Formats: sequence, C-alpha cells, structure tokens
Amino acid sequence: MNHYMKILTLAKKESQDILNNKIYILVIFVQLFLVLGAFGLAIISSIATDPALLDTYGITSHLNVGISENLNGSELSQDLKAQNFNIIYYNNTDKALKLLGSGLVAVVGISPEGEITVQTDNSNVFYPVVSQKINNAVNEFELTKKLEAAGLNQSEIHTIQNPVTLTEIKVNGNKTAPIALDSSYFVEIMYGFIVPFVLLLPFFMASNIVTDSVVGERERKTFEVLLMTPLSSSTVMIGKILPILFFSILQSMAWILLLDLLKVPIYNPIILFFILSFVGLGFIGVGIIISMLVDSTKEANSAITLALVFATFILFVPLFIKAPFFEGILNFIPTVLIVKLASTPIINSQLVLSSIPTILLSAGIFSLAVRYFRHERAIRL
Amino acid sequence: MKFTTITRWEFKETLKSKKFLIIFCLQLSMLFLMIFVFNAFAANIQSDNGVSLTPSLSGFASLDIDDQGHLFTKYINPSLINIQSSNYNTALQNLNNGEITGFVQVPADSLNSIKNIDTINVKLYLDYSDPKRSVISDEVNSTTNILATSISNSWIDSLIPQNTTQIVVNQQSTGQSLQIQLLTNAMLAILLFLPLFFFGNLIIDSVVGEKEKKTGEILMAMPISPSQIILGKILAVEAIIALQIVLWMIILITMGFKFANPILIYILVTITALPIIGVTTIISAYSKNYKEAGIGITLSYIAVVGVLIIPALTYLSVKPLAANISPMTMVMRILSGETIPFWQYFIPIAFILLVSIITYWISIKLFERDDIFFGPRPGLIRLFLELISFKKIKKIR
Repeated sequence: MNHYMKILTLAKKESQDILNNKIYILVIFVQLFLVLGAFGLAIISSIATDPALLDTYGITSHLNVGISENLNGSELSQDLKAQNFNIIYYNNTDKALKLLGSGLVAVVGISPEGEITVQTDNSNVFYPVVSQKINNAVNEFELTKKLEAAGLNQSEIHTIQNPVTLTEIKVNGNKTAPIALDSSYFVEIMYGFIVPFVLLLPFFMASNIVTDSVVGERERKTFEVLLMTPLSSSTVMIGKILPILFFSILQSMAWILLLDLLKVPIYNPIILFFILSFVGLGFIGVGIIISMLVDSTKEANSAITLALVFATFILFVPLFIKAPFFEGILNFIPTVLIVKLASTPIINSQLVLSSIPTILLSAGIFSLAVRYFRHERAIRL
Repeated sequence: MKFTTITRWEFKETLKSKKFLIIFCLQLSMLFLMIFVFNAFAANIQSDNGVSLTPSLSGFASLDIDDQGHLFTKYINPSLINIQSSNYNTALQNLNNGEITGFVQVPADSLNSIKNIDTINVKLYLDYSDPKRSVISDEVNSTTNILATSISNSWIDSLIPQNTTQIVVNQQSTGQSLQIQLLTNAMLAILLFLPLFFFGNLIIDSVVGEKEKKTGEILMAMPISPSQIILGKILAVEAIIALQIVLWMIILITMGFKFANPILIYILVTITALPIIGVTTIISAYSKNYKEAGIGITLSYIAVVGVLIIPALTYLSVKPLAANISPMTMVMRILSGETIPFWQYFIPIAFILLVSIITYWISIKLFERDDIFFGPRPGLIRLFLELISFKKIKKIR
C-alpha cells in the first residue's frame, strides 16, 4: 500500500506539472485542429473524386465543356448533357481550345471526316471525374451509333445497352453504420490513414513530454535529489510515466469520441486501447532511452524528432506503399492493426493474435528503458 | 571587431561538434528514406495501377463471390479487397456474422445468357452495419460496368460482323495530371526545402544558449554591437544551411533526380533560409529557455510551412500570379521546365527580402533589450506595442 502511495504521489506531481504547462495544453488544441482539418480535407477530396457526389452537390453543373456548334442537338451533346456538364457551344473549335485550362475543362469537336476529337485539361483538379464522365458519354454515343446502324428492334437495343443489371440488397439495414460520406475514397483515406494517425498523435507527444520530464530534471539538477529519495528507480519510472501514458490514452479516447460524433465510427475501442497502451509504452521507452543518452533538452528535442521520423516511416509508409520487405510483417505493424480493428464491427481472433508481436516489442523497449534507467542510477551513485 | 569574427567562431564551433555531425548524418539518412518513398510513389505512377494517393492496404474489405462462370472474378480488382469463392448459404451466414462486407451472386446460367443475348442479373448483398460497404459497392459497380462493356461489344461484333459504322474518337490531354505534378514537382520541391527546418536548434543554441549558460554577458562586454552579434550568428547558420543544401542536391542528382537550372534552384532555396532564420531568431531572442524556444519554433514552423506550401499547391491547379510569392512555387515551376518571365523571379525575392529585413530588425531590437536578455521579460502585447511605437526602449548599450 505504501509503495502504491509513493507512486501515486509522484504521479500526482507529474500530472500537475503537465497540466500547468500551457504549451502542452496548446498542443492538444493543435491536435484538435489537425483532426478537424484532416476530416475536412478527406470530405473535400472525396467529393472532388466521386462523380456521383459531384452530381449530388451540383458541382458538375459548374464544369464547362466546350462543344462544336455542329454537334448542337446531336446524340453526343445529349449524352454529355446527361453527364450533368454545363455545355457551351462554339462556332470555332480553336477559340474553345484557347480557353481549355482556364474556362473549359474539355473541348469536344467533330472533324469534316466525322472524327470526334476530345481534348481534356489534365491539370484540372476534377480531371479524373471529367475524364470518366466524358468517356461514359462517348462510349454511350458509340454504342448507340453502332446499334442504329444494325437495324435492331427496341428490345434488342435495350438488352445490348444494359447487358448486366446490378441489384443491391441491404443486409443488416436496421443496424446501418452511420458514415459521414458513403464514398469509398472517404472510407479508405479515413480508416486507412487518418484514424491511425489521429490515434497515435498523442503518443508521439508522449515521447516529447518524457524527454522534457527526465532531461528537464537533470538540467535543473533535481534528478540526483529524486534518486536520493527512498524511492526505487522503478517507482520513480512508473510515477513519471503513468500520468504521461494516462493523458495520452485520454487524448486518444477524446479523438475517438470526436470521430464518432463526426460519423466515423471506431470499432473495438477496448482492444484498440489495449494495443495503444503498449505502443505508448514503446514510445515512452524510446523517450527514456534518448533522455539517458543526451545532455540537454536541445539535444533531446533533436534526437526525439529524428526518432519519430523513423517511427513515422515504419508505421505509415506500409499503408501506402507495397514494398517487399514490409510484406512479411505487414499484418503485425501497429497502424495496420489499428486500421483493421477500427474499421471492422466484429472482432477477428486472428487480428487480436497479430497484435502479440507489437505488445512484445513495446514491452521489450520499455523493459530496456527501465534497465538502462537503473544502470544510469548505479553509475551516478 | 566585426560580425564576420562571430560568424567564423560560430561556424567552426558547430562543425567541430560531434553531436552536430551525428545529427547531420541522421538527417542525410532521413533524406535517403524520403527518396525511397518518392521512388516507390513514382514506380506506382508508371505501373498499370496509375496514380493512387489512397492507402493501398490489401484485405481492407472482404467479399464472397458465387460466380461459377468466372465472369465477374476475371475483372474484379483484388488489391484492396479480400475475395473468396463461396455459395449462397455460406456467404449469407458470413454476412450476417460480420465476417464479410459483401456477397456477389452471379447467376449460374450467366454464360448461357450471354450466348442467348439475355440480360444477366447480378445481385450484391451488402452489409450496411459495416462502414466499408462503399468500398465493396464501388468496386462491384466498377466491375459490372467493365463486364457490361465487354459483353455489349462481343454482342455487337457477333450481330454486326461487318460493321461499317466506325466512329473514330481521338482523345488528347493537355497539361500534366495534378497527381503527377504533386508527386514529381511538388514533392521534389518539398525535399529541397526540408533542410531549412532542421537548423532551428542551431539558432536556439546560439541565442538561447548564451542566456542559459550565462555567456551572454561576456559576449556583450566585447567591442561589438548587439546587432553585429546577431548578424554574425545568423550568417554562421546560413553558411551551414547552404552547405547542407549543396550536399542534398548532390545526393539527389546522384540518385537520378534531374534539375533544370540547379544553380538557380540552389540560390532560391538558400535565400529562403534568410527569413526562416529571422523568425527563429526572434523566437530565440524572446524565449527564456530551450524548451520555450523549441515549442515556439515548432508552432511558428507550421505557419512557415503553410506560407511555403499552400501557394505552391494552389499554383498546381489555378496558377494565380500571387502564388509566386512563395519561393517553393518558383522552384516547382523551374523543376517542371516551365518558361518563366524574368520579372516574375523578383516576386519571391522581394517577399524574402522584405520578411528578412523585418524579422532581423525585430530580432536586433529584442536582443538589445535588458529586460528580455536578463529579465523580467515583458508580455508579448506590451512588447508589440513598444516595437511599433517610437518609444525609447531599454537597450543593453
């Protein structure tokens, strides 16, 4: 009991130091800004890359496509109008081509030989959607022309135009997961990158707070005094890191609640917190090891920044790049685990087992940090 | 005594420091990591997949398919989706248990339907309790369209074997795709400007270190004005940054990156360091200790990065003239091989000079003050009002 009271006393002192530091409070608001900013960017970029969403929000009707006056009233212009573009007719295609990239996203013309020419502005932010829609219109036009020339009846024409029908049947409609935007791009970018990024942000901060706490004590010459107290080095260690770990987990919880409010449901939160706690111990362990190696806060800041860059590379690059050396360990990387756990309503036992290497590695790093901390004490004594 | 003496001292001391050399080497290894990431993205562009800036996690969503004729499975993209063959009963059970996100049922007689020119009715069972449903829905819809086009064309070829109605469509694109521009020009420009943000610690050590180690008083006692001290320190850091940028460009060129007009790019990147050093010096001069300076610089660098990157990214799509205020925009334009009118180079240079003059003036004014150097430090608002007014301020000398 006495031992726990000592830990709690030290933890309370560290908590007060953290809460009294306005800079740490400011950093929480910076994280909030990052979370909301990332969410906003995901929404905007999802709408910009989805033809159906662009139509829903009326953005397509502001995309201007220049068409030769010869095509006015033609089936091609009808097919282009069906794609919801704003069609502008030009007598002279050259005049329209001069506006390509400024006023027009595409120019469609017809040569005297009957050849259809389509020129698109590749650098436009909506180019992928414009290209897809124009291809749809041109394909529809080509098909119609072929069918008209074949002399087929209406039933045959309809079958050829619609050879495959897709019927979507809702399952578990009464348990519909609320999602801010029902777009595959949005779901991929949110769960595939932003959710693991947001949940790990507080732990990146935790490394910085640990180095400030330990190195700061040494710079203020209170470290030796702390080690001289009747507290074992493990008690000192636990007392220092407990509030840091607790505040990091609390921040992650807050971001999960925020994402839930923004209609990005995060599943399996308890398992996530379990894994994040160990990842947090790993980050804190790295912070402690660096604190023992450096002589000043300045050096600690440089070293921890570089360590976090390497950590970012290992954690986030596998989410975007299929590299051979990641393939064997891909399913064990913490961010990949977070992606799969956070986006899956039902717990998968294989996923839970895949978290064992992360837990072992983080525990290993932390044990190394504790051992090094003790060794450091022995040298000083 | 001149500021060049201070510059020489600071430059020698920094290069002699083993810890600086270790950090310098670690920064270079970071550059190699980024080159690796860059090359991986570039390889993706050149592959059949094209450009993709969304995560490429395999097995992100699960789909069961009942497709005995292997019509659907031929066209579906398995990169993001874990696809398994199944039957109706097993698949529905998996769907209800939440083990899969969707199930596609292609009729068993689909091949006969194609022979008889009949519509094929495909059913997609989608678990709406899974947020990943749109990933499945999107991929299945896309596959359905590809399959439909393929079937339509085969029917047309069989029904109209000597089709004389040939519609010739000539498609051309102008300009470089936004995503390719981002990945090639913008990313390379960002890589070039990165070293500018690695040397904040040098300035903190140089300015705040004098306060913390109590060596500032000795420096003030020397026959040199505070403005010359600050200028000397700033020039030393600028020289080190200039050296690192040279090394980075040599490494990038060795790794196969091509620069149109490397000398001009080098000059632009190096002079961009001047206002960044100015901002860092203001924060260092005002800060009481390393920690305060470190956090202040982190926050201010977020703003600096915004000023550099946002106009450059805006220029990619809209190309406003005002975007040239950022030197990164100019470097990106040079990298893309664009012909730039000579007068436009003066836009970022003028901006750099203006910000540098203002920030250096503020740094010198702060460094000259007793209360900031020795304490008690005035609040920011009072300080701002004093700086913009013409009240006498307490100087050291």
